[in-house]
Amino acid sequence: MATDPILDCPLDQVPEGPEFIQAAMRWHFSPETGSPYWLERAKTLGFDPREDVRTFEDLRRFPNVANELRDIRVEDLIPRGYGPDADVIGVYESGGTTGPPKRVVLLRDWVERLMHRTEQDLQAKGYPESGHWLSLGPTGPHVFGELVRWQAARRGGIRFTVDMDPRWVKRCIAEGRGDEAERYAEHLIDQSTYILETQDVRVLVTTPPLLTRLARRNALVDLINSKIAAISWGGAHMDPDTRYLLRTEVFPNVKIYGTYGSTMILGGLGERVAPPEEDLVVFDTFSPYITFSVVDQETGEAVRYGDRGQVVMHHVSKSFLLPNNLERDQATRVAPPPGQMGDSVADVGPLPTFENETVIEGVY
Amino acid sequence: MDELIRLDALGAGGPYHSRSRLTITELTGTPVAELSLVPRLFVQRTMAALREARTLPAHERATALARAGRLFATGVVDGISAEEYQHIVSRVSGMPITVVRSATAGIGRRAGEAYRTTRYARPEGAVDDWRDPLTRNGQAVWTRRGDVFAVHAAGNHPGVHTLWLEALALGYRVAVRPSRREPFTPHRLITALRESGFGDDQVVLLPTDYAVADDIIRDADLAMVYGGEEVVNKYGNDVRVLPQGPGRSKILLTGHDWESHLGTIVDSVSAFGGTACVNTTAVFVEGDPAPVAEAVAERLSAIPSLPPEDEGAVLPVQPVADAHAIEKYLLDHVNGATPVLGGDGVVDDLGDGSGVLRPAVFLVDRPDAPQTGIELSFPCAWFAPWSRADGIEPLRNTLVLTAVTDDDGLVDRLVEDPSIRNVYLGDTPTYLMPPWVPHDAYLGEFLMRTKGVIRT
Repeated sequence: MATDPILDCPLDQVPEGPEFIQAAMRWHFSPETGSPYWLERAKTLGFDPREDVRTFEDLRRFPNVANELRDIRVEDLIPRGYGPDADVIGVYESGGTTGPPKRVVLLRDWVERLMHRTEQDLQAKGYPESGHWLSLGPTGPHVFGELVRWQAARRGGIRFTVDMDPRWVKRCIAEGRGDEAERYAEHLIDQSTYILETQDVRVLVTTPPLLTRLARRNALVDLINSKIAAISWGGAHMDPDTRYLLRTEVFPNVKIYGTYGSTMILGGLGERVAPPEEDLVVFDTFSPYITFSVVDQETGEAVRYGDRGQVVMHHVSKSFLLPNNLERDQATRVAPPPGQMGDSVADVGPLPTFENETVIEGVY
Repeated sequence: MDELIRLDALGAGGPYHSRSRLTITELTGTPVAELSLVPRLFVQRTMAALREARTLPAHERATALARAGRLFATGVVDGISAEEYQHIVSRVSGMPITVVRSATAGIGRRAGEAYRTTRYARPEGAVDDWRDPLTRNGQAVWTRRGDVFAVHAAGNHPGVHTLWLEALALGYRVAVRPSRREPFTPHRLITALRESGFGDDQVVLLPTDYAVADDIIRDADLAMVYGGEEVVNKYGNDVRVLPQGPGRSKILLTGHDWESHLGTIVDSVSAFGGTACVNTTAVFVEGDPAPVAEAVAERLSAIPSLPPEDEGAVLPVQPVADAHAIEKYLLDHVNGATPVLGGDGVVDDLGDGSGVLRPAVFLVDRPDAPQTGIELSFPCAWFAPWSRADGIEPLRNTLVLTAVTDDDGLVDRLVEDPSIRNVYLGDTPTYLMPPWVPHDAYLGEFLMRTKGVIRT
């Protein structure tokens, strides 16, 4: 079976949504082209995606199979339609917050599509055209550092990196060893200092907690303000007050933009460009490939625009299918820009809690 | 109230109205205020600014504290008069209005005295300044152990905000994390301090998410943390932190004349609506505690159920669901004790979404019954038998112990015991706190140290 050309749509064009979804269903669920995993899984779906999944809304019919990615052989995730020599860029794993990590395969055609999109985004935001990048965040099995490497390479720069193992941090914290997590984080900052002091780095990519930690050191703040043209943050949430303070007080002359992504959607999306006084960070999607729905945690129904709900992520591309993945993230549902399927999201992250639990005994 | 009161964070650069805010509701659930919550980045920058800030000279500190005390207690602060402030605190915290009023006056008075009261803690051998002529032959100079002091405050009683004023008097820069239950008092007090001479970078209010609270302590030199047993467990081994844990104040009655002490017992249980750490939690009676418990219960049961803003209110009020949660906790922990008052429940529903917490009195059958350590934020007392053979063990771990006894040997042991923080003798209520008497030692003992200076 030949590949439907809509699945190989030119990078600078956006395929029409329903038509794309129907082509993707045919691809992933036809014996000649689908992955061994999905072809086997289809037997217990109780519906035929090639017949029954025709629109964006129909993606919600799928069960959330994200947890199955913890055990599947990666070979079984590659659609057969790629033939025996699929161009595998790499296998990447989730952070491992809950249980063993989930694993995905990135194929070259997807990475090129994603990078093209990212490049457009960087241009729109005026990221420096030259210079090196520093990735202060997860590398190892995580896609975070790899995305930075690809971005830097496309712009002729070098990616410097400080290796961060987020699983170790999470484990330290879960075991009540906050002091160890603290030491480790300071160790990461120390290492980034050596790079920032000696190399011509123009773009810094890191997580909000590490950015807050960097801001504790005045010498580093000065160094960043003098050398860095743009900071990209991702991998964790940033509250609007932190964002405001970073942009106005800490790094007033540095462009600061967020990225919202997940291993499970095979990438991340830059925040919507907005006037500087705008507090709301909105993430539009990479429709029709990466899309979101914001739903009520209890009922699974869409919440109203402006209301908060839980984020459901969908990835639909030639290389991979993971629809209807309910993430733990909370977000405000925002109307999408014209032509985008599904929702945009804003204010991603948990709401603050003032106290950890209700304590009754005692007068305080 | 049509418009919500805006409780900004009070940072080193002035008030900060944050994007992330917590709605403060009064007892019936009606929103009354919005408290700005600041993130970790704000906390660390503010703490760094406190560290960089200068300290006012001592006489300016004393003057500013006195002026702030007057303003706090009687003036208009941030557009709110003292009367309005008292009404709000009463309606939000459920504390009787008369208690709030006297607490307001008390804070005002203590601010004026704060510099003087720090003197009680200074060792006799120490002077304040290296220039003092006594240092010529060698002398101790009383010096700060650090520059920045952090407070995780409680919201049970406005009076908790008198203690840290001494840190300001001693020249510390101070950061206060308010309680969600009652952020109005520290907000008003710090605003008044700033209007009276303290700089924005010398005293700050940092309302934060729970996850960030520890950052305030980490970035301070010394800290004081209010809380229960869990706070003592968490910080007990940290020499930089002074935990203000459970009070578990007690009364010991020996001899036969308990009737003349009845008023003192009743007041010790019910003053401040029973919400303070110096309220009596347990009463130990030599002989049969039952008649004493019954007499106390009779007096307590006569206290009317009133909304907290009523002039006659004595008892604390809570949102009715919270009140029932406290009631359930109590009834779940009775564990064989004999109810004298409140055994069927302690909540009196006022019908507007709030409920009065009525007094409870229980009898236990032995002095080491674990219930005697259950301290709740309303008038609730456990009565236990005690004999000289039981010794002081059941009386230990106590903020204030009132002992009615003529056994000087027993008093010696009580005064010597390090886990009993204050010993009051005779017909003295446990809640007495004159400024010259240490509360849980003088705060100055924690904040200061002596340093040798010899000039040749």
